[in-house]
Amino acid sequence: MKKLFTMMLTLVMVLSLAACGNSGGSSDDSQKDGASNAAESSNGQEEGAGDEASESDMEYVKDKGALVVGITDFEPMDYKDENGEWIGFDADMAKAFARSLGVEVEFVEIDWDNKIMELDGKTIDCVWNGMTLTDEVTSSMECSNAYCNNAQIVIVPADVADKYQDKDSLSDLSFAVEAGSAGEEQVSSLGLDYTPVKAQSDALMEVASGTSDAAVIDSLMAAAMVGEGTGYADLAYTIGLNSEEYGVGFRKGSDLAAALNDFFAASFEDGSMMKTAETYGVEAAVVEQ
Amino acid sequence: MSILEVEHICKSFEHTEVLKDISFSLEKGQVLSIIGSSGSGKTTLLRCLNFLEQPDRGVLRVNGETLFDAGDAATRQESEIRRKRLHFGLVFQSFNLFPQYTAMENVMLAKELLAKEQPDYKARKKEIHAQIEAQARTLLDEMGLSGRRDNYPHQLSGGQCQRVAIARALALQPDILCFDEPTSALDPELTGEVLKVIKELAVQKTTMIIVTHEMAFARDVADQVIFMDEGYILEQGDPGQVFETPREERTRQFLSRFTQG
Amino acid sequence: MELILEQMPIVIRALNVGFIQTLKLFFVTLIGAFPLGLVIAFGSMSSFKPLSYITKIFVWIIRGTPLMIQLLIIYYFPGLVLHTPIWGGGEGGRFLAAAVSFIVNYACYFSEIYRGGIQGVPVGQEEAGLVLGMTKTQIFFKITLLQMIKRIVPPMSNEIITLVKDTSLARIIALQEIIWAGQAFMKGSQGISGEIWPLFFTAVYYLIGNGILTLLLGRLEKKLDYFR
Repeated sequence: MKKLFTMMLTLVMVLSLAACGNSGGSSDDSQKDGASNAAESSNGQEEGAGDEASESDMEYVKDKGALVVGITDFEPMDYKDENGEWIGFDADMAKAFARSLGVEVEFVEIDWDNKIMELDGKTIDCVWNGMTLTDEVTSSMECSNAYCNNAQIVIVPADVADKYQDKDSLSDLSFAVEAGSAGEEQVSSLGLDYTPVKAQSDALMEVASGTSDAAVIDSLMAAAMVGEGTGYADLAYTIGLNSEEYGVGFRKGSDLAAALNDFFAASFEDGSMMKTAETYGVEAAVVEQ
Repeated sequence: MSILEVEHICKSFEHTEVLKDISFSLEKGQVLSIIGSSGSGKTTLLRCLNFLEQPDRGVLRVNGETLFDAGDAATRQESEIRRKRLHFGLVFQSFNLFPQYTAMENVMLAKELLAKEQPDYKARKKEIHAQIEAQARTLLDEMGLSGRRDNYPHQLSGGQCQRVAIARALALQPDILCFDEPTSALDPELTGEVLKVIKELAVQKTTMIIVTHEMAFARDVADQVIFMDEGYILEQGDPGQVFETPREERTRQFLSRFTQG
Repeated sequence: MELILEQMPIVIRALNVGFIQTLKLFFVTLIGAFPLGLVIAFGSMSSFKPLSYITKIFVWIIRGTPLMIQLLIIYYFPGLVLHTPIWGGGEGGRFLAAAVSFIVNYACYFSEIYRGGIQGVPVGQEEAGLVLGMTKTQIFFKITLLQMIKRIVPPMSNEIITLVKDTSLARIIALQEIIWAGQAFMKGSQGISGEIWPLFFTAVYYLIGNGILTLLLGRLEKKLDYFR
């Protein structure tokens, strides 16, 4: 009994010490912004490479027989149908990719803030959820080629939309943006006043409830969620702040990214990718593979 | 042969010696009163007899059988102590009745648990239970509590609680019944009913050791009196002698305080 | 209004699924923490000093740090630092990790309540049992236990009600309990987005759940009222 307790305590202490050391390092990684220095990022790569040296990520996934896909509820990329089944452009492509690998697909809703932790901790195998390829993302994950175009666009109440059709008009607005998102990068580089919130949808809520004047979110999401006939009929989108691309993220050093690039190329070739895109109305945004 | 022989018992807590070389003996059917001021070691002595404390030195014999000998490790074994305790009964100052049981259940509980250890318990379950219940009824009747059998302790007065506690101790038929200031926690008007019960037990020749501050009662009921002071037995004799013509100055002082107060 | 009526079945179905997760976590935590708490209580009361100190330090760490941090560490630590993701990424793994965190956390709180309950039973009760020739085990089960239970029911009730609400913390490791389910409709899910009213319904589930618990615990307390 007492031995067990001693062991438990020792374990807890060792774990917490190690956790301190590690969280220090990884927070450096995740907070890296666009201007991250080269030394740091190469450091991160070494770490990742060391992990994967023993076994390829593809073998790992094939061995356990399932590709665990980290997602959030994000129409039209990943969302649930009436039966609770995950569908969407990303979800359907993920299913097809898993089939090509000969493994099951398992969708897991994650907290977007924790996506890198989830990957590195192997609780998921990829992030496939309309993820913008920012510097932060590409430096901390092994990313596929871009497969979808996107833009960060401004959302304001529909009745004042006319007033905010150029970048200069935005300066007196207070913004809500998803913390750590491409939208945040945009507003902070423009020097605008903003509040970081937990999710893009929270940013919309802020505008709808009047706690913020405007939000910046993904154009693909805006198309599905904002404007007449949607949940946010009183909101409208105005100008785009940039243009960017979506990609799929794997663990650093994973050989699955290359496998997915091949798969994308093949399914673009045979038209199945476009067909899937048409199902969800995103065909205009698909990037040629 | 004496029913109880206590020889050279010593007991210390931390660095204070509470019992210093205590020796006495008690004959079957006799009542021993122990008097003395608070902190003189009376209660500790009773607790040693009931194995709630273990003496550092000394020997304890009941009916000639050595129950405890500080010099003999075999007599100090935990597993043996439980059986040895049953030679003694103890009535506490604060009753210590089990609040979740009725008066009847308080009296019956220990006896029933012991009965379960008998090899033929399963076969004679009903019979044994009936015996225990009948005995408990008789005991409570004798204590004048026939109408209180199904009451819980919090529904009883202090005097009634103490009488239930006495019945509970008697249920196990101990050789020697010990009382630790049985009336000290009671309102003055309730002490009489408890003392009366104890007197009745004395008449029935129950062997008893009574630690008490009730001097008149001690004198009345006892065959033998011990006066303790600072861990020593200072004076020992029949009540007439100790109360009327104490040999020691300390005894005289102690008694005068009580007769005045 | 009509829209709400249309959306209602979707919302209720999603909330039910979330609520089942919440209930599962709640009951599993209780089933695990009740006995573990007792073990920890005996550990901290042990007369063997090193065991007692270690247990007390452990309890201090667990009670002194937020459950949310414990959830994050217990779930992510094995995979991130030890490179052995013991929990797995699916719902089952998240639930298991959450259950372990909750059981350990609540066991520590329970242990303190048990300790108070055990130490609150007067010494005289044990001595009376000893003098009557009972074994320590008999004394614990026949005498001390019920008195201890009576003492711990009120503080335990508080903890249990808190636990119902604390289960929502498991969202941090993406366990999809009822608040996650309710909030999904704020973020946008199944064609419903930007709606706050599902959250009100979520609150109703908690109210009903806690109402029933309060009733049951009150009844238990009353049942133990026959003695003092």
